[in-house]
This record gives sequence, structure tokens and C-alpha cells, in this order.
Amino acid sequence: MKDIIFDHVLKAYGKNVVVKGLNLNICEGERLVLLGPSGCGKTTTLRMIAGLENITDGQLYMGGRIVNDIPSGKRNVSMVFQNYALFPHMTVEDNISYGLKVQKVDPREIEERSNAAISMLDLNGLEKRKPKELSGGQRQRVALARALVKRSDYFLLDEPLSNLDAQLRVHSRKELVKIHEMYHQTFVYVTHDQVEAMTMGHRIALMYDGILQTIDTPSNVYNRPANVYAARFIGAPSTNIIEANLNEGKLIMAGQHIVPPEVWIKKMKENGGDMFYFGIRPEHTKITTDYMDNALKGIVRYTEDYGNKVGVYFDINGKELISVCDNNVPATGERVYFVPDYSRIHLFDYKTENSIGYPEDLSKHNYGVVYELRGRLAGDRKFKAE
Amino acid sequence: MKTELNSMKWHILVIIIVCILIIPVVFAVSNSFKTLADAFSNMFNIIPANPTLENYIHVFEKLPFLQITLNTFFIATIVTGFKIITSLLAAYAFVYFNFRGKNLLYFVLISTMFIPFTVIMIPNYLTISCMGFRDNLWGVILPQLSDALGIFLLRQSMRTIPRSLIEAAYLENASDFKIMKDIIIPLVKPALISTGIIFFINSWNEYVWPVLVLKSKENYTLSLALQMFISAEGGTEFTIAMAVSVMTMLIPLVLYIVFQKHIINTFAMSGIKG
Amino acid sequence: MNRISLKKQNGDKGRAYLYILPSLLAFAIFMFWPLFRTIYLSFFDWNMIKPDKEFVGFENYIELFQNPLTYKILGNTGAYILILLVINFVVPYILSFVLSMMIKKGQNFYKGIIFLPSVISLVVGSILYMWILNPISGPLAIIAQVFGVTLPVWSKSEGLALVVLSLITSWKVFGYNFIVVLAGVTGVSQEVIEAAKIDDVPMHKVFWDIILPMSSATGLYVFIITIVQGLQYVFTPIKVVTQGGPNYASSNLIYHSYHEAFVLYRTGMSSAFSIITLILFILLLIIGFKFVEKGVYYEN
Repeated sequence: MKDIIFDHVLKAYGKNVVVKGLNLNICEGERLVLLGPSGCGKTTTLRMIAGLENITDGQLYMGGRIVNDIPSGKRNVSMVFQNYALFPHMTVEDNISYGLKVQKVDPREIEERSNAAISMLDLNGLEKRKPKELSGGQRQRVALARALVKRSDYFLLDEPLSNLDAQLRVHSRKELVKIHEMYHQTFVYVTHDQVEAMTMGHRIALMYDGILQTIDTPSNVYNRPANVYAARFIGAPSTNIIEANLNEGKLIMAGQHIVPPEVWIKKMKENGGDMFYFGIRPEHTKITTDYMDNALKGIVRYTEDYGNKVGVYFDINGKELISVCDNNVPATGERVYFVPDYSRIHLFDYKTENSIGYPEDLSKHNYGVVYELRGRLAGDRKFKAE
Repeated sequence: MKTELNSMKWHILVIIIVCILIIPVVFAVSNSFKTLADAFSNMFNIIPANPTLENYIHVFEKLPFLQITLNTFFIATIVTGFKIITSLLAAYAFVYFNFRGKNLLYFVLISTMFIPFTVIMIPNYLTISCMGFRDNLWGVILPQLSDALGIFLLRQSMRTIPRSLIEAAYLENASDFKIMKDIIIPLVKPALISTGIIFFINSWNEYVWPVLVLKSKENYTLSLALQMFISAEGGTEFTIAMAVSVMTMLIPLVLYIVFQKHIINTFAMSGIKG
Repeated sequence: MNRISLKKQNGDKGRAYLYILPSLLAFAIFMFWPLFRTIYLSFFDWNMIKPDKEFVGFENYIELFQNPLTYKILGNTGAYILILLVINFVVPYILSFVLSMMIKKGQNFYKGIIFLPSVISLVVGSILYMWILNPISGPLAIIAQVFGVTLPVWSKSEGLALVVLSLITSWKVFGYNFIVVLAGVTGVSQEVIEAAKIDDVPMHKVFWDIILPMSSATGLYVFIITIVQGLQYVFTPIKVVTQGGPNYASSNLIYHSYHEAFVLYRTGMSSAFSIITLILFILLLIIGFKFVEKGVYYEN
């Protein structure tokens, strides 16, 4: 079983704690994305798996054994670094085969694997070049090839696409998934780019301030964020989050009120308390200038044209909300009605900021699955959220 | 933990090397405060049993030591002052101006650092003789003035200043003097200080030119004064020699301890070609 | 460099020349003129005092190459170079590797102490080591006597004198070389080293295959200055301790050139020796660059 388990792992530099009490299970053969802003601890977490950072407290298991004190070279991992870390004085083919040569792998085997990797990553003709003679995209592919020929069980990637331009990135994303589908290593991928995370991961582990915020499939992270942070981080523009007070069946927000569906009121009562955070994604709202029932009223402050859609920033008693809609954009200064899609709202406990859950009646909706997990993964396992 | 044990044996290796390098200095200081008899009988005591200043007093009796120290100081100061100013100006010209043959000239100047002193020794001696500077401090000062090290180090340092700062100054029609005073000098200060100290220490320790040029004791520098105490076995004047050594080492060591970080960083950069 | 905004300066060239002038003046008088003068003098027979010099063409050079003493001196020079390189090039490299990879704590402290002797005068160094290595009454002799070993009188020994003088010089040179090499070694990208760690590359291979090639620019520089400056630094201990003896056994090209000029008063011979030394250095630089340049890796 080639899984990775973090058991109450803590990482601190002196007094500065960068990863706090991390409990994380990464399943064999999974593509797990560690997502988060700079400084959230995702790269440190990846480096702990690689053995490039010591673990201050807690246990790290790989394939069932504790690896805290096992050096990087003995953990059977490959890694692609953000700046590729190619050996600048060696040619492309030497770069790729160096690791295998050091391991005294049979030369014919080395040649076979190198050639396979070179073809697969479209590096033919570049074998004799040195890294400084390559473009950014080519260097990245060499880094991938070097990691690939190792045929290791664990494949770690530290923001490998962040130095590429947008077009290359899209292309590389597909290549990476292709590679994974060929060899089914356990992929752990670090990025700050949510589009990468959403398109590439079987599951996304969102981190902030050293703490794991949520870990779930992209679909669930989008449709059922586990906490306010997750709701805000995923999606652009950001989810609207408003403080709300439940009072006699009404949710009072920004000096106005709406009446949520009965099933939600029940859910809120179950949770207890009367203060909540109300969340709705801009793309799940509508704005009209005509009167709408059960809506919030506000004034348009600013609009952004995205080409196919328009982002409308408007003001409700000092609170700024965003809506993304198709056309018929109201002008700045106009009074509008803001209507949330009540089947897509989120509610979070005020104190813990955790989601209070979703009423079962809403599960009829098909949130879609970003990736279908084919049966090739052992036992057609479903990934459980931590 | 495995890594800690490994680390131990390397620490020991480094400490051995460090000891080899430092022990001579420690012994010198310690023995300079011992009487001759004490030094020979209790050689390995770092702290003298009966510390005495008699060696130091002897030095001042045997030699016009104060004068000698002042000579050394004077020479080092003049040499440093001249080289810093000229190097700063030259580096400025090389970095911020364009003229024909610039790179060639720079290359030629830098390559003079690889010319052994024996190649220029005789003519320089003849030159300063002509000027009447034999047995004169100026005869020691002048040959030390052609040193490309300053131009090299200061140029390296200036090249790290963001271009945009200088261009903004040009837009304001600032004079070279203003640019130098307000932008460049403040930003290259570490390199400037280090280079100045390096020049000073090198001149302080200079031995070749004093030995060629200076004859009378009043004109000696410290390196020459030291030489007087060298006899094959380190006989009767051994502890006095230690005292002179300590006094000679004093200023460079003090400068080094105060500016250690700067000096080491500047030297470290000299090996990285720009 | 933005040439456009700079070229617009009026009197561009004039000011530049003006700023370089003081330096250039010093160089002209005390470096370039003497260089040519020495070449000139090497074709004459003179003793620095006589008003007339006698032109002798290449005679000085011919005599130089026919004298067996020259070859002894050349051999010594080679020996000096070898010892200096081992102590001040090989050891600093290994030590830098150790300090940067194996030892995490106290790096600055070690750096500080190792560099310290470099600021101390070689005359002081000579005195200190003359005492420490004194075969009769020095500390090392005393320790050796405990083990029943007597130290040889190295200043009278043809081979040992050279070795000891190299050691004294190394005491001063080691620190500087070490700092420079360390900068080169630590300049190797951490990511590349980590990539090697992950591939389970053993330490000695990391040193040979990765660190050495990637710091080779610095390495080349240190290699060259160890020879060029090291040979010149040795002058001081030679002059102070053995004056080239016993029987020229500790003399090298540099010292002998001085010896010819200011002890034997043979200006022409001295100049010839100096020029030969210069040619040797130039050859060394050329070989260094050509041979190694292919393999040397520059960060650009």
C-alpha cells in the first residue's frame, strides 16, 4: 500500500510553527493537490514527504512505515522542483539518467527508460543540449523526465507550472495527468493556482496558516465548502460571505432580511445559536432592476466585463457583494435587487466558521464530478473526506 | 540521531584546523607577558604565572618604537587614502561611462594583479631613488599606489546598484559629484569600508618595499622592526619578539574583529566573476 | 546598461578619462613603465650603480638557461606550487564542502577564526612558526621529545626548509582561499543539491559530480591566485628565515630574482629571471583558461 499518512505532524522553525497538527491521508495512486496561498505550509508539507525538512513532532507514514528519520534517498520518491533544479553542467540526457547511473541500474535499462521518457515528453533532438540552451517549457519537461525515469512510487511536484506562460500551462496540465494515468504513482502536487487544483486533483487539500482547512474532491470543495475560508478561496470572484442573524424564521443581513427555505431554517436550529455566516457564490445569483421577492436591495458601484459574463459589485448598506451575470448590466448607481439561488446557498457556524452542513432534501441536485475515477484504481475505492 | 553523530566528527576536524591556525597567535600573546626564563620553563601555560610587562618596556628601550608605529600608520593611511579615492573615481568611470577601449583598458588594469612584483621591482627602486626617496617613507608609499584590487571590488559593488536610481539622477541633471555623494557612496559603503580596511591592513603588513628602501631605524616600519628580533634559535630576545609581534598584530586584528563580516563578505565576492 | 541615456551626456569621454586619470597615472609610473624597463634591462649587464650599462643582447637569458642552478630553482618553484596547491586549494575545497553540507551550526564562527591569520603580517607568522617549530627549544620539539623523537634542524635541511616555508605561507593564505572557495561552493543552488539528495546520491559523488563542476569558475580563480600570489607571498618567509638557503634549496623564481638584484647586484640577470617568471605566469593563465574553460561552468 503506497499511501502517505500524516499523524498529528507539527513543523516548527524555532518558535515559528508553520505546520500545525496535520492529519492527512493520501491514498495510493491518488492525485492529491495541496492548495493554498504563500506561506500556508503546503510546500513545507511536500518537503516533509520528500525528507527535505525534518518533522518536529508527530509521525509520517509512507507505505505503512514511519519515515520521520529515513533520508530522502531511501524514501523512493521523485520530485519536480519549482525551478526545475536541473544540473546546469550536464546535457539533457545526462540530467535524465544521472540518478539511475548513481543507483547502478543496468545501462540498457537506463537507456530504455530515458528514451521512453524523452519521447513521451517530446524532447527528441534536445538530448545533447545543456539546460541554458533550453526554453522554460523544455526545461520543465526535462525535470519531469528526470523524475519519471526513476519509476518511484511517490511523485512530488512543487508548483511545477508556475514559471510557464499561460498557454504552456494548459498543455502541461494535460501532460501531467497523462503521465499519472500511465504509471499511477501517488501524486502530491503543490500549487497556489486553484484552476490547476480543480482540474488536476482527485482531491484538494486546502491549507491556510499551517492548518488543513478542508480536504475533498474538487466538486465538493466547490459545491460544499467545509468552512468560510474554503468558500472564499475557491472560485473567482470570491464567494459572498455575510454575517447573518436568524430571527423568527428570517435571516437578517446588512440591515435587510431574507427568508431562507424551511429545510435550512431547520438545519440552523439544529446547529444552535442565532448568528451565522451566509454564503453564496457570485455565479449563483441574479440581479434585476425589477422588483423581486425575497431579495436584497442595493446600489451598483462598479462593473467588470469578463467577456462572456459581467461582474457587478454593489453595495448593501456598506457591505460589498458581487454578482456575476450574463448581460443586461445595470448601470453604476442604479438600484438593483440581488437574488440568490436558494438551492446553492451555504451557511456556516459563526464561532467555528465551519459549514453547518446541507439539508438532505438538497442532495437531489447533481453537483457533477470533475473526475471520474476509473476502476483501475485498486478496488474502485471512493475517497473519503478527512 | 544518525546525523548528529556524523556531524560530530566533522566538527572535530574543523576544530583541529582552527586550532592549528589560532594557536600561534595565542602563544604569542601569552609569551609576550612572560619573562624569558618563565617562557622557556613553562612554555605551555597560556596564562603566565607571573605576568610582566618587561618585554614591552624593552621594546621601547631598544627601538624608537613609537616612531616606527607612527611611520607604519602614516604609510598605511596615505596609501589607503590615495587608492580608495582613485579606485572609486576609476570604478565610477568604468561602470557609468562608455568610451572606446573601455573593456580593454579594464582588462589590462585587472591583469596587472597577476604581475609578480619582481618584474617591476628594480625600475621602481630606481625611480624612487631618483626622486630622492631612498630611506624615506615616501619611497615605500609610492610603489604601493598602483593596485587594481580597489577598482575591481568597487566596480563589482557599483554594478549591484539598480540602474534606475542613476537614471533618475540623470533626469534631474545631477552632477557626477552629487551622484557620487548622494547615491553611490551610501550604497557601496560596505564594499568601500572593506576595501579600505583591506588596503590598510595590506600596507600595514607590507614587507618588500620597506626592506628594499628603508635603512635607518627612525624610518622603519613594524615589519622591519620585527625582523631585527629574528635569530635562528629565538634566543635571548624571544619574548621581546613576541611583544613586538603582538603590537604589530594589534591594529589589523582590531580592525578585523570590528569589521569582520564586511571583510569576509567582500573577499568572498571577489571570487565570483562579474 | 541603458546606453541611450548615458550617451546623451555631454563630454562623456572627457569626464571618464578624467576620473580614470589619477589611477592611470599611478599605474603608468609604477606598473607599466617598470614593466617595459625591466624587459629593457634584461638585455644589459649592470649593477645598478655604474653610470653605464653594457648591452649584452640575449646573453643573460642564455646564461640563465645554461646554469644548473636555474633548474634547481625551477624545481623548487614547482615544489612550492605543488605544496601550496594541496594545502590551499584542495584542503579548502574539502573543508568548504564539509562546512556547508555537514555542519550546520557555527559556520560564521568558524569562518571568522579561519580567516583571522590572513590579516596578520607574514613576518609575524615567520617569527611565530620559527619558534613553534624550533627543533631544539620549541613547543613541538618538546612534545616530540616526550615520544623520543628529535626534530630535524629544518632550516638547514634542503628539503624541509622549503616545506616549512610553504607551511608558514599557507598559514596566511589558507583563510582567504577558504572564504572564496566557500562562497563558490555555497553558491551552488540548494535545489540542485536537494534533487541529488532525493536521488540518493552519496556524498562523495555530490562533491565530484555536482559541487565541483558547478563551482569551477571560483575554483579556477583560486587555483590561479594560489600560484600567482602564493609564490609572491613566500618571498617574505624566505627572506626572513633562510634567505634562500641552505644553498638555494628554499629559493624560488621570485626570491632568486630579488637575490640577483639586491644581493648579487646583477640587474640584468634579475630582470631576465623576472621576465621568465612573468612568461610562466602568462602561460599558466592561458592554459588555465583554455584547458578548463570548456568544463568551467559560469552562472550566466
